[in-house]
Amino acid sequence: MPDRRFPTRYSAVAQGFHWVIAALIVVQFTLAWTAVDLPLGVHKLALLARHKSFGMTVLMLVVLRLLWRLKNPPPALPPGMTPPQRKLARITHAAFYVLLFAMPLTGWMMSSAKNYSVSWFGIFTWPNLIGKNETAFKLLLSTHHILSYALFGIAVLHILAALKHHFWNKDDVLLRMLPFTNAGKPKPEKRS
Amino acid sequence: MIRTLVAAVALCVTATVAAAVTAGAAGTATSYLADPQQSRLQFAGQQAGAEFTGVFHKFTAAVEFAPDALASSQFDVQIDVNSLDTLDNDRDTTMRGADVFDVAHWSTAHYVARNFTKTATGYKAAGALTMHGITKDVPVDFQFTQSAAGVKLVGHAQLKRLDFGVGQGDWKSTEWVGDAVKVSFSLVLKPKG
Repeated sequence: MPDRRFPTRYSAVAQGFHWVIAALIVVQFTLAWTAVDLPLGVHKLALLARHKSFGMTVLMLVVLRLLWRLKNPPPALPPGMTPPQRKLARITHAAFYVLLFAMPLTGWMMSSAKNYSVSWFGIFTWPNLIGKNETAFKLLLSTHHILSYALFGIAVLHILAALKHHFWNKDDVLLRMLPFTNAGKPKPEKRS
Repeated sequence: MIRTLVAAVALCVTATVAAAVTAGAAGTATSYLADPQQSRLQFAGQQAGAEFTGVFHKFTAAVEFAPDALASSQFDVQIDVNSLDTLDNDRDTTMRGADVFDVAHWSTAHYVARNFTKTATGYKAAGALTMHGITKDVPVDFQFTQSAAGVKLVGHAQLKRLDFGVGQGDWKSTEWVGDAVKVSFSLVLKPKG
């Protein structure tokens, strides 16, 4: 049993959070980019309703993910990374968490400001965070939009970094986040 | 002495019965108009799973009512559909458009009730609503209160928007915009004339 304080691999739970949220973000971009070009109508309403439900799902998952992370620290960065690289990795990961909160929160506030309450898949309705305010809506819409580009940029950087670690540095940074691999698992002791 | 007492009791009973009979007899309904400043007409629908509410800013409600004169009571409400307000211009514009309320053709909705019954909690009006060119029965439950503060009429109704053809084309679907609509009102009545 590996020491939980010094893991060498992401736990199955951490991997689950990572990949489910990653998949939801892809869905979110697809829904948003499709809806944004549509005229106001039933189709747009449907796409945005799903976008809101998935967005609130991400918000709930990120809360759980952070709580899990506090109890279960992630594996250390591999040796051989320079201090600036370590700093960039930490900033990127922190920015992800900030954006994963900021995106759904600005979206939720946008809906509130336009007096369109957010339903979660029609099962229940979230309370409005702020009152009807057209100026606030426009400001929040552009914030949500700009943050989405920041999220997109950071995701690209994150993917490129993971690939660089895998193919260039040949370390297990990518593999230890992948399910169904043994990378990072303590290997059985070999007698030399 | 006893004879006097019996006579007095008999007189009392007669007076009470007479009063009861008078009260039970049909009185006359009082004519009122809803005060536009203090009255409110609201609707609530379902959009993408969440409730949204709106009001009609402009409407006139002529009410003739008295609890002891249900037979001669009546409601006549004219609603300016164009005055709808759901606190969002995009939604309001869509709702006024040809595929929803089509205010260009049907700018007023009209509710008339002449049939009233007493219920456990208040009264029920069996009236008909004409909206979007279609007339359907819409019962309204309400309470009528008279106090020092004034005369109030508070109530609600349930209707289905598609019964009135409100929602054509894509808006006929009830997947993202519900069919059921709740209507509620709070009217402050002022005697007419």
